[in-house]
Formats: sequence, structure tokens, C-alpha cells
Amino acid sequence: MVDYLYDGTFEGFLTCVYYHYYGEKASGIYRKEDYQASLLSGCRSIVTEEKKASRVYEAIEKKISGEDLRRIYRVFLSSDEEKENKLLRYIRLGFQEGSGISLLHSNPIVFEVQRCEYKVNIETHRIKGLARFTALRNSSPRENGNEILYCSIEPDHDILEIIANHFADRLKNDPFIIHDKTRNKAVFAQGGSWYISGFTDKDLPLFGEGEREYRDLWKKYFDTIAIRERINPSCQKRFMPVRYWKNLTEFR
Amino acid sequence: MESTLEKLKILADGAKYDVSCSSSGVGRRNTGKIGSSAAAGICHSWSADGRCISLLKILFTNKCVYDCEYCVNRRTADVARASFEPKELARLTIEFYRRNYIEGLFLSSAVEVSPDYTAERIMSCIRLLRNEYGFGGYIHAKIIPGVSPEILHQIGLLADRLSVNIELPTKESLNLLAPQKKPKNIFAPMKQITQTLTERKQLKGAGTMFKNQDIYSAGNLSYLEPEGENISTGDGSLVDLTGRPLAAPEKGRSRKERFAPAGQTTQMIIGASPESDRQIVKTSENLYRTFKMKRVYFSAYIPVSNSPLLPTPFTAPPLAREHRLYQADWLLRFYGFTADEILDEKTPFLDLELDPKISWALRNIDKFPMEINKVSLDELLRIPGVGTTSALRIVRQRRLSAIQFDDLKKIGVVVKRARYFITCCGKYCGGPDIAPDYIKNEMLAAECIRNRLLPIDDNVQLSMFNPVANQWGTVANRPDPIRNLHGQRTVSHG
Ligand code: SF4
Repeated sequence: MVDYLYDGTFEGFLTCVYYHYYGEKASGIYRKEDYQASLLSGCRSIVTEEKKASRVYEAIEKKISGEDLRRIYRVFLSSDEEKENKLLRYIRLGFQEGSGISLLHSNPIVFEVQRCEYKVNIETHRIKGLARFTALRNSSPRENGNEILYCSIEPDHDILEIIANHFADRLKNDPFIIHDKTRNKAVFAQGGSWYISGFTDKDLPLFGEGEREYRDLWKKYFDTIAIRERINPSCQKRFMPVRYWKNLTEFR
Repeated sequence: MESTLEKLKILADGAKYDVSCSSSGVGRRNTGKIGSSAAAGICHSWSADGRCISLLKILFTNKCVYDCEYCVNRRTADVARASFEPKELARLTIEFYRRNYIEGLFLSSAVEVSPDYTAERIMSCIRLLRNEYGFGGYIHAKIIPGVSPEILHQIGLLADRLSVNIELPTKESLNLLAPQKKPKNIFAPMKQITQTLTERKQLKGAGTMFKNQDIYSAGNLSYLEPEGENISTGDGSLVDLTGRPLAAPEKGRSRKERFAPAGQTTQMIIGASPESDRQIVKTSENLYRTFKMKRVYFSAYIPVSNSPLLPTPFTAPPLAREHRLYQADWLLRFYGFTADEILDEKTPFLDLELDPKISWALRNIDKFPMEINKVSLDELLRIPGVGTTSALRIVRQRRLSAIQFDDLKKIGVVVKRARYFITCCGKYCGGPDIAPDYIKNEMLAAECIRNRLLPIDDNVQLSMFNPVANQWGTVANRPDPIRNLHGQRTVSHG
């Protein structure tokens, strides 16, 4: 038994799963950066190998199911510290049970993974609503209009690429950037396609024309729409946890 | 000329009592220039009253020529007045939408000049949005009673959802409080919408209440009459109701063209008139059955006038009642209950302290306890603490192995409620005896704590009751994220 250490990528994780089956059994899988050596088992650093990773990827899709593959990936994006080990257990069980695995709600292995997935999904869904774009002047207006939409988020989980599709579809006409401040990276999108790259917000361009006005209009709307007779801050906070507020136009 | 900011304030203020905010019910990818709608519905913010903000909910105008007693914007009320220009509102919607403040537009309106005058301006606003801006986001348009069928039809082709407010639960109340709104003018557009949806085979009913039934069958229109008095409504054809023929079906309409794909809803004011909960629930049941409404919304009356016909301005809005009515509505739509089961003549009002499902179970205690491993899906749904998701899970799971009491929590059953009403493999875990009074006391203690955390509308329940897999349908149905990882390369995580 050995602890496998990987580089933090999904392919790296899958490579570890490969070694679990074709090499020494894994006592655990950890990100290299976060690993604290344990006395009980040795550890081995794994170099990510695309080929081995795809073998596992395809095996999961074929022997468990496409939906479980997506589930595994979503859980991988979570910030749960034990996610790799929860997933390894899930994959192992999945190879035994096949596509029926997701129905075993009362099995602790399944339950743990579904709970992680739920957290990722719930945040994804939340951020789809809570992301706020600011129209900035486009420094190179030759490309597509004279504004670029910018949005900063600080999600608990690494959901940038899940929401990228959603917004790339929705905002086809506007080039946009969604900046994950916690992870210093951003989605850059234009005309429906997108990529992710490292990013810091050091040199953001100035507000576009009308940005102030629309912010004020939105704030006015936000304040007006609340019914005084029904004010209920605890309810408001329960749906929209305060940690998200700092990136919301209506509270700035 | 007022500035857009002033208009926004006046016209949002006038619209805020409208309850329906859900943007769900239609999934559409962006085929135009901007916008898509997510089938699961997305909340963008929550206002200080804890209500979800999903759509820009606003009146087109509040310069009303009508004088409904219960309304802030009635002709005789002393309030600031404003009207949007179609262009102005279209632009505002687009700019809000680009910034992801909103999911779409919920456009309601007072009657300025005449129903048709106002409806035409609303139509040109949403036409601008759809055709000029290529807006694919969600549009919910309120239909003003008395609008001509042609304009209604055009609006239906542009909007996702239409609604005509029923306003009050009975004809008597309507005559008294909204004398210019004739029942036939309310039903004519409702009927036209249902009929158009039927013709286009686009009809989708509310929740599961049409399970095993022909959704296209006709309903019973007698509910606006007082209970017991059964007044004939003729053959119920539109011509009868309006005295005016249906809009001629257009020739050669394109196949893609869809009419109100998210169906129609309506709204009823609670507490402005003296009807019992039983009448209200029966009216909603009939609205569902007759017009295949997607939703019937309730709105607790907030006193806005000194009218002697209405509760005094110091009356608190009946929020608890509204909440219980929504729970009863859920029982109708998703749990297979009928209005007569929820409330009978002996108990015309809902118990404000208890979930109506629990009240029903306590009144029918002889049907319990139910054996989790044996009873049918329909019976499972009647157990307090068992929701639609958990009921389905139970059915799937027990095929594999018998369900034990300890499994219930993981399945998603609210055990502290369900335990009084079930057995698991023959074992009863609800306490010494299955006695309604004892159970009721236990429940009340629990509800007391829960009530403090209650949401004031029911949109959250919506997500709690949906099966997890569907709830996040938008995630699940997206193109495979892993494929993206491989195709559209992540440049660096650095
Ligand atoms: S028609 Fe009646 S309810 Fe509508 S705005 Fe005018 S007064 Fe108010």
C-alpha cells in the first residue's frame, strides 16, 4: 500500500487510479502540494500520463456510466480535502456495481460522493445567478464592440469551467472575462467559445459608458422591490450567504 | 419627462406585490444574439424581504383608468404615475440582462387608456427585445382582461409565459372589488391561451396532477359561482364567453414558432375578500383542471386603501395563511391530493400551525402506519416527511433490499415527521402509541422552530422537492465538461 501524489490535474488523478489497478494498491491519493507525510505508508509521486488517464476515463464511462463520469469530475472540482479518496472508493465500488451505483443512496461511499456533488452543483447554480458583470471599455475595440464584460467571483469550489459554458452560450455577442479571484485564473470568452488562463485584475480598463447609470438603476430596483411589510433579513441571508455579497453590485 | 430612474422606482414599486417570480419551465439555448433560459430557473438575488429576484418585475405603466379597490394603482389613488416607452424598457432589460442582474422580464401593467392601447405598447416592447436585440431570455407577460384576441395571440408568440390574473376567488368578490374586470373578460384570454396550447399540442399541466389523465380533456367552469349553486356556463366555448369569435388561425405559420412555451399561470389575492381556504383551494383546483395552469399563485393582501369593503389598513398581511395555501397547492400538484381531501365542509380553513399534509394524516390516522417496504408510490407520497424524491428513491431501493429505519435519513426522508406514520419491516418507531393528539403536540414543537426559518414564498420548496438529478438539469445536460477539458484546453491553473 502506498500514498500516491499527483499534480492536481484531473488527468493526474486518473493516472493514480490507473496505478492503483495496475501497480501497487493505493492507501490514498493526495495533491503533492497538500501532502503531509504519514508514518504508516510510503508515498510515490506520479507523473501524469495522458494515455493512462484516458484508459481510466474510458473505463469509467463504459463500465459505470457517462453520468457517473460527469459526477466524478464535478466532485473532483470540489474543495473537499478528501475528495480524491472519496472518489477512489466510489470508482472502485462503481467497477463492481456498474451503472446502478448512483441508486445506492444509503451506501456511505455513494452518499459521501453525492453530498460533495450536491455542494458543487448548488454553488454552480448559485453563481450562475450571483455572478455580476461590469461593462468595461474594450482596449482593442476593433474586435467585437467597444465593451467587454468583466465579472469576479470567489467560489468555494473550482467551478469556473462549469459556468463558462453557461455564460458563453448566453452572452454570445459580448466578449467577457469571469475571474476566479481565489484561484487567480479566468475564463476568456468571445462569440461562444472560451478558454481558461491565469489572471490577475491589476490593469482592468475603465468602466464603459453607462455602467454607473445601470448600476444605479439596478440598486434602485433592488431597494424598491422589497416589500417593507415582509422584511426578513435572515431569510435573505439563508438563500444568499453573506460571503457572496462583496461581489454583488446591489450591495456595493 | 421623468428620468428612467424615476420611472423605474414608480413602476417597480407598483409591481412588487406580484408574487410569481419563477423563471423556470422552459429550457432554451441561445439561438439569437443574447440570452438563454435555464429550465431549472435561476435566482439572481434575494431582496430584503427574502424573495428571490429572478426577473425584472415591472409595470409598463401605472396610469390606470380602472379602479380596483385593492390596488395601489387604482385611478382614485394618490400615487406618482409613470409610463415607459417601449424602447426605453427594452434597452433597460437588455442592459440588466448583460450584467447578469436578471434572468428576463416579467411585464405587468395597469390599464392606460384601454386594454388594447396598453397591450399594443407592451407588444412592441417585447417585439423589440426579441427581434431587434435578439433577446432569448425569459419573458413573462401579464395579459390585461379585455384585450383583443389578435393582440393576445401576437404577445403569446413572443413571450415564454402568459398570465391573466383571476384576482379573487369568487365572482361576488370580483364584482364588488374590481367592478371593471368582468369574469368573462378574465376567462376569455385564459381560454384562448389554453385553446392555442391545445391546438399546438404544447399543453403541459401543473406538476403531476394530470398523471394518468387526458390533459386535453375539458374542465368544469363553475367555480366562480358560490359553492353549491351550480350555474350552467353553456358549452364553455370561447364564443360563448366573450360574444366574439376566436382569432382566425393564421395560415402558413412557421413550424418553429412557439406560443407561450412555459404555459400560463394566474394569481389570486388572499385575505381581501371573505372566502374560506376551502373555496380558494377548490378554485385553484378548478383553474388547474380547466385551463391546465402551470401555477396558481397566491398573494397575501397588503392593505393599501381605506376602502370600507376591505380589511383596515392596520390588518397584517395573512402571510402564514398564504404559506399554508401554497403547501396545499403542492399537495394538489405533486402529491395526488384533491381539494376535497385537503379541506372538507367541516374544516373549511387550513390549520395555520400545521402543514396541511400533517393535518390530513391526523384526520385520517386509520390509514397509518404505512409499511415503507410495501405501500404503493401514491401511498408513500401521502406520508408526512416523504417527498417526491424520497418516495421515488424508496421505490427503487426496496427492489434491491428491504429498507431499514436507519436508511430513511440517507434516502432523504424527514424522519422526525415520518416516524409517527410508518413502519419499517413491521417495526413502529413513532413512540408509545399512534395517537393523533400526541403526534400533533410533537409536530407543533418542531414546526415552531421551523416557522422562524420559513421562506415567504415557495420557490425554494420547488428546488427542495425536485429530484436532485433534475434540479441541476442544466449542469447535467451541458456538453460533457470533461470533453471540454480535453477539447478546449485549460491553459494553466497557475
Ligand atoms: S386594473 Fe385594477 S388591479 Fe390593475 S392596475 Fe388598474 S386598478 Fe390596479
